[in-house]
Amino acid sequence: MKEVVVHPERCVGCMQCMAACAAAHSISKNLFLASLETPRPKARVHVGLGLYNEGFPNRCRHCDPAPCLLACLPGAISRNAGKNTVFIDPNRCINCASCAMACPFGVIRYHEDCTAPAGKTVAVKCDNCYERQLAGMIPACVEVCKSAALTFEERADAMKRKTDEVARTVSAGVAQIDLAAGFTLLNAIKRKQIELAR
Amino acid sequence: MNEKYFTNTITEDGRLLLKKMEREGVESVWDRFQAQLPNCGYCEMGLSCRICVMGPCRIDPFGEGPQRGVCGADADIMVARNLGRMIAAGAASHSDHGRDLVEVLGKVAVNEAPGYQLRDVEKLTRVAAEFGIKADGKKPNQIAAELSDAMAEEYGTRKKELTLLKRAPAKRQEVWRKLGVAPRGIDRETSEMMHRTHMGVDNDWKSLLLHGIRNSLSDGWGGSMIATEVSDILFGTPKPGVTKVNAGVLKKDQVNILVHGHNPVVSEMLLHACQDPDLLKMAKDKGANGINLAGVCCTGNELLMRAGIPMAGNHLTTELVLATGAVDMMVVDYQCIMPSLGTVAACYHTKMVSTSDKARFPGMEHQEFHPENAAAKAQTLVKDAIANFDRRGEVFIPVESVECMGGFSVEAIVGALGGTPKPLIDAIAAGKIRGAVGIVGCNNPRIKQDYGHVTLTQRLIENDILVVDTGCASVATAKAGFKQSQALEKAGPGLKEVCGALGVPPVLHVGSCVDNVRILVLASALANSLGVDISDLPIAGAAPEWYSEKAATIGVYFVASGVYTVLGPMPPITGSMNIVKLLTEGLNDAVGATFAVEPDPEKAAVLIRKHIEGKRKKLGLPHAQV
Repeated sequence: MKEVVVHPERCVGCMQCMAACAAAHSISKNLFLASLETPRPKARVHVGLGLYNEGFPNRCRHCDPAPCLLACLPGAISRNAGKNTVFIDPNRCINCASCAMACPFGVIRYHEDCTAPAGKTVAVKCDNCYERQLAGMIPACVEVCKSAALTFEERADAMKRKTDEVARTVSAGVAQIDLAAGFTLLNAIKRKQIELAR
Repeated sequence: MNEKYFTNTITEDGRLLLKKMEREGVESVWDRFQAQLPNCGYCEMGLSCRICVMGPCRIDPFGEGPQRGVCGADADIMVARNLGRMIAAGAASHSDHGRDLVEVLGKVAVNEAPGYQLRDVEKLTRVAAEFGIKADGKKPNQIAAELSDAMAEEYGTRKKELTLLKRAPAKRQEVWRKLGVAPRGIDRETSEMMHRTHMGVDNDWKSLLLHGIRNSLSDGWGGSMIATEVSDILFGTPKPGVTKVNAGVLKKDQVNILVHGHNPVVSEMLLHACQDPDLLKMAKDKGANGINLAGVCCTGNELLMRAGIPMAGNHLTTELVLATGAVDMMVVDYQCIMPSLGTVAACYHTKMVSTSDKARFPGMEHQEFHPENAAAKAQTLVKDAIANFDRRGEVFIPVESVECMGGFSVEAIVGALGGTPKPLIDAIAAGKIRGAVGIVGCNNPRIKQDYGHVTLTQRLIENDILVVDTGCASVATAKAGFKQSQALEKAGPGLKEVCGALGVPPVLHVGSCVDNVRILVLASALANSLGVDISDLPIAGAAPEWYSEKAATIGVYFVASGVYTVLGPMPPITGSMNIVKLLTEGLNDAVGATFAVEPDPEKAAVLIRKHIEGKRKKLGLPHAQV
């Protein structure tokens, strides 16, 4: 089964995953129209800021066992083993924030949502775009990511590739991975600037 | 201490005012910068293209995703097109500023600009002669009319080359002609850049960059140069004078009016109005002890250079000064005026006024200035500022001001040297002064405010390198005390001796950012006296904290004129290593100078010293190992 895999070293920080995620979880599924909807759709993936101002797309890991699920007293959170996804039922959610306290990754937010009863604030997080997947599409964040920081693939394939990448770094004569010379140069300059500003 | 206000700026006034803004919940440029992070990597690398609506497109720098835009443009083409448009925007800005001055000159000639006058008739005659206009006993107004027409022609000239190119050393002009980059018209090159970067026109990244050079030269030796010359003619060629800088120039007991922007056309009229006895009396009646006109940014520099008007701060200080609660009015013209200013002002009592028909801002009252109505308008604005004086709340003026000597036009520098650049050349030849560096450009929240300018300047002058600076860089070093007489103590022994004998500080304020052309003129004078090209001189340029498109254009015209230039922030070009290599190495073969990018000013100083000693060696002058 394919799942979303994050490759932090490839994140260029464009935040397009956030915009695409919000649009995918709107009524219209269209970025422009979505921005006019009430409630305004919000992203479930959040780009965080690393030590050197590099981006990192922080999303739900769909843990097993999931701390949020264990913490949810009304039983609004469930795990669908077949989809490898942890879901929140907005009708059952009582907005108590227990799941957010239990989540080690800080990916659960509280706001109104088009899937929840009107006017009700509920816990919201990544659902692996199950609606899109049913329609034969891949998750929106992956689709929009052009630098392959987010991929949708078999876990085994991703691990094999990473294993090979690591193996290549210890090949004789290789000092470091230089994914793209220009990106390395830009990051070296930015890193210097940030160190100087401290 | 690592509080935000401490790490954001090295300036004492900035830190105290930021702390106040933080306490009062007023958003600053640094908050907005933080909110933008992480910056989009595609945009930072020049790998996003919004030129047409087959796109927008982006190219994956890691080679897995898309490698071409919808049109087929690869990374080299995309980066070159983006850089080209950046240069065009910068050239358009400074050159359009020049056009506005030419229009005022034309109106003054026909007496349609009451309040303005021809302050430097000698310069008028001299510049007119360069345009082939003979004085022949003509009245100044007649010469001004002809010069204004001739300069207006330069914008859309049908001649082969711009007139002022001939100010450059003959060898430099030959370099441009051989490369095919001698600009043909000021507007033409900008317009052609927009054409070339349209989908399906110039898709050779090298030829796009060559046109970028031509476009930048159309500004440096065209529009910007005209702006400076006409400003001198209308408002006087700057002469050395002493004034004060930093937020401490605001006065608790006076009506404070700040001018902000770039064009001296409005601020000169305000200056007159602030000296009007009737208005001074009106201020007195309101309980104020006078009317204090001060500047920020380059409009401030224009007034500082010519009239010794005090300077409250540079780019990143423009929001902070409002937090003093002491600014009764801020009058803006155009360029580098953050659209946030109206919002900051609304937290205090400051009245914000925009004055240019092409520059409007939220939260500002629009009072349009034209040469015909400027003198009268200025009176009205000063009256409004006086009326605002008693609306002040708490006033907090954080520091004492610092003394600063400004006003070093090329004419003034040559004058201080006794009428010829020879004493400077002798000092350089003898090694007392190793060389000269133009430090220019802005502030940028990526860099601790003024840290780049001040650190680099300190390292250069202590190594006997004369620094001339403009724009926000010049305000940074003034605030740090490099332009007062005691600053000689910070200079190396040779530079201290020469500057001490001439009675000038080791860091010379040569003007606003449009006045970077003064550095070109000075470099040409030095090169001509030695019979060499600008690229042979032991000189360099630096823009340690640049942010704007104008600065990008200035950098390119510096390098294209033969001046090795070190940038602090990286321009959006790393998406194409071909272009990075061309700008940092390849250009040497074409124009005899390159760019370098070095965010650490300590290291930039070493790069520059190495370059200068290398040039000294080639000239057969005593040289040192760096």
